[in-house]
Amino acid sequence: MEKREATFRIKRFNPLKDTKPYYQEFKLTVFKGMTLLEVLQQIKDKIDPTLAFRAFCRSAICGSCSVKVNGFPKLACKTQVITELEKFKTDTLTIEPLDNMEVIRDLIVDWDGALKKMEELKPYLIPDPKVVPQTLEEECKVLPQELKKYDKFTDCILCTSCFSACTAVNIDEKYGGPFQLARLYRFAVDKRDALKGERAKIGYAYNMWNCVRCEKCADVCPKHIAPVDGIMKLRGISIEVGLKDNPGARHVEAFYKSLLESGTLNEVLLPLRTKGIKGIIENLPVGIKMLLKGKAHSPILKPIKEHKSLVKLIKVAMEVE
Amino acid sequence: MLTYDIVIVGAGGGGLYAALETSRKKGLKVAVISKVYPTRSHTGAAQGGINAALGNVAPDSPEKHAYDTVKGSDFLADQDAVELMCEMAPKIIREMEHMGLPFSRLENGKIAQRPFGGASFPRTCYAADKTGHVMLQTLYEQCIRFGVHFLNEWFVLSLVHNGERMAGLTALNLRNGKVEGIRAKAVILATGGHARIYWNRTSNALGNTGDGVAMALRAGVGLKDMEFVQFHPTGLRRSGILVTEGARGEGGYLINSKGERFMERYAPEKLELAPRDLVSRAIETEIMEGRGFKDEEGNEFVYLDLRHLGRKKIIERLPQIRELAIDFEGIDPIKEPIPVRPTAHYSMGGIDADKFGRTEIKGLYAVGECACISVHGANRLGGNSLLDIVVFGKIAGEDASESVGEWELLPFKESLVKEEEERIKSLFDGEGKENLAELRNQLSDAMSKGVGIFREEKGIKEAIEKVEEIRERAQKLKVYDRSSVFNTNLQQTLEFLNMVEVARTIAFGALERKESRGAHFRKDFPKRDDEKFLKHSVIKRREDGELSISWKPVVITKFKPEERKY
Ligand SMILES: Cc1cc2nc3c(=O)[nH]c(=O)nc-3n(C[C@H](O)[C@H](O)[C@H](O)COP(=O)(O)OP(=O)(O)OC[C@H]3O[C@@H](n4cnc5c(N)ncnc54)[C@H](O)[C@@H]3O)c2cc1C
Ligand code: SF4
Ligand code: SF4
Ligand code: FES
Repeated sequence: MEKREATFRIKRFNPLKDTKPYYQEFKLTVFKGMTLLEVLQQIKDKIDPTLAFRAFCRSAICGSCSVKVNGFPKLACKTQVITELEKFKTDTLTIEPLDNMEVIRDLIVDWDGALKKMEELKPYLIPDPKVVPQTLEEECKVLPQELKKYDKFTDCILCTSCFSACTAVNIDEKYGGPFQLARLYRFAVDKRDALKGERAKIGYAYNMWNCVRCEKCADVCPKHIAPVDGIMKLRGISIEVGLKDNPGARHVEAFYKSLLESGTLNEVLLPLRTKGIKGIIENLPVGIKMLLKGKAHSPILKPIKEHKSLVKLIKVAMEVE
Repeated sequence: MLTYDIVIVGAGGGGLYAALETSRKKGLKVAVISKVYPTRSHTGAAQGGINAALGNVAPDSPEKHAYDTVKGSDFLADQDAVELMCEMAPKIIREMEHMGLPFSRLENGKIAQRPFGGASFPRTCYAADKTGHVMLQTLYEQCIRFGVHFLNEWFVLSLVHNGERMAGLTALNLRNGKVEGIRAKAVILATGGHARIYWNRTSNALGNTGDGVAMALRAGVGLKDMEFVQFHPTGLRRSGILVTEGARGEGGYLINSKGERFMERYAPEKLELAPRDLVSRAIETEIMEGRGFKDEEGNEFVYLDLRHLGRKKIIERLPQIRELAIDFEGIDPIKEPIPVRPTAHYSMGGIDADKFGRTEIKGLYAVGECACISVHGANRLGGNSLLDIVVFGKIAGEDASESVGEWELLPFKESLVKEEEERIKSLFDGEGKENLAELRNQLSDAMSKGVGIFREEKGIKEAIEKVEEIRERAQKLKVYDRSSVFNTNLQQTLEFLNMVEVARTIAFGALERKESRGAHFRKDFPKRDDEKFLKHSVIKRREDGELSISWKPVVITKFKPEERKY
């Protein structure tokens, strides 16, 4: 069986003892088939029982175990350690808690803020009495193609990986958030819902126009959802429901500008620095891949200048490699 | 002290449905308390679907559904409860549909249904391969809508009652390490299953440790039919994570170390598609008789081989199973066979409750996998558990809402909180001569060996002795982490202590039931024995800690017991 030694550099923090977080290294023999969650469990069982992390289902469906592995949010239970070591060409993996949320202890973050945002967006069906039968003798008929509009978005396991990686969340406290806004979209296109398109107004109030379309949410989602797609479509709906000549478009441009000026755009290029060109190609944001293939999506706004130059930059980088 | 009318323990499908039902009645103060955030609950892991005789694909009726359920249960289910569940099934499916649940659909827009093991019609409603997940999400969304109050990441420690009526419970707030008393007129337990007792070979979530069942046992409440634990034939070798029937349905082979397709010997006609318990026993026999494989860690297994299906078919028809094998076992089924062995999957037994979810203590309810109502008897049919949890969650929620108005809040002794604090403190001060992971493995091994798929008197007795020894040694466990913030070391130790208590009752029940029925297979009594054992076992813990057993009749209405043949 394939085996090797590996070092896990884990970010630790116990608010009762530590004034600031620190890194602790654990050395372990890992083998083919071993997941990162098994590594964490083994450390807890055999080396340090005080290591704190969350896990429950072990099968990528409960969303408990998301942590950062060499900078990228991942479900620990779905991460093959050997594959990861090979990908980064290293013997050391750095494991940290997610970003954009407060750390409670070690790898455990406070989800309440992110979930409260979702709650504020009214993430539930309000049945439309004109569509949904008023008795339990009958179901509401939904055609397969009607379901298809939102089906993918119902895969979300609330792991908060996208929230951790989101550029807009990082910059704008008021921003609704990727999984939250994507769920809002899911109801906006459910024919059984009473609010439907009106929901775009909620998205508007929660600054959905501040999404910079960095596509990181789509990149990191373990369920292969692209929250950004939902957000773009919700923007489209917002125009349909009369938020047409909105300050949104202007707003978004200003936002990009400030991004550029503050240098935060570099964040978009983070994978480039940490993983090298090869790594970035496989982890390339879906949207950019599409742009590269000449299939730019999101018809609502034309790709913004900066976005284009970003694509150019990556193309150049690829050629260099 | 925190005070409510109703406290619901557990936020899986059972707990959330009960919560929604209580929110219909204005003015009630209700809390849902859970050791994980609601959507983390194990209900989310259910993939296959939920049964209801909607008749959308072929004509069907609740009565036929009831018959299949009773037959599947090997006639141990209480037929009045089964009839009630099957009668309510179509309505509750529609109710969830009206809440927004994204069921898969037929071309005509109706809810799609597919065939499932043990059912005579395509009766299982589903949402692709994520039925439990979307059910849990939808119920959670509606709970947000109706302002249900959640206490997330609280670990319930014990139940408090005066011998007749509920007074509340004690719980540990995982965020700050405080033990608190919570007063309530009614408590609904919906804490899920306990298959984690088989730690190294179970499809269950890490937290399915039978806390609610253990609490009830300690509180003097009876546990019913605990000997029945369902094993699923194909769990991944190391993790026990489920490889669904789909793999065999599409034509996967089971292969032993001699390269034989061994099902030919056990079920010459149905082969790999024989009923779950039969396939589980076949795999286990191969392994026991030395025709299995063994890896470096000592895991024993057989192969589930899909390679002959070819790359195209695997990618098109079984993408999820492929992804699962790659992600959790590091194996691509296109290139290599998948190592599998039977995995502990579902707990038929649980807290003795009637068809309203009521237990012997007034105000204490139990629903879902932690309860035994009993609608699954000796063997649960696929797709019936998701149904069970919502139906009886709803009924118990309604019953409690209507009853609490007449009940008074009972006094709650502050000293009970102190007692729990002391119990925890003693764990911090433990001798530390024993290691948690080691004991947990030993419990798992003892139970798998003696009270697993095959059972016989000698083996069960050995397991009982071993469990008693582990119970003794568990006194010397020490919690090394002394932090009050998110002490998962403490939580896991408390969970382990619960599992040991529950394991005892499973082994005890298995010893006393001298027949084979459903999931309970005794080599020394290989036949079903209706004359002596067409009855429920009820196990209680006496004051001195010893267990006692009594028996209860099975409710039979329409369906006379007959041989279970497929
Ligand atoms: C892999 C898998 C696939 C399955 N597929 C199907 C299927 O296709 N169809 C089907 O019908 N059934 C299926 N089942 C069975 C079914 O999913 C479960 O039986 C059912 O979901 C149990 O629901 P529940 O509400 O009783 O408990 P759970 O969903 O397990 O919830 C238990 C709750 O109790 C809480 N809790 C537990 N202990 C404590 C404590 N001490 N303090 C506070 N809170 C506590 C937990 O936090 C959790 O919220 C499957 C099971 C598994 C394991
Ligand atoms: S695309 Fe938008 S929502 Fe997604 S991560 Fe970037 S800013 Fe956030
Ligand atoms: S959208 Fe994906 S990454 Fe974001 S919370 Fe949901 S599952 Fe996680
Ligand atoms: S443990 Fe549930 S998603 Fe990883």
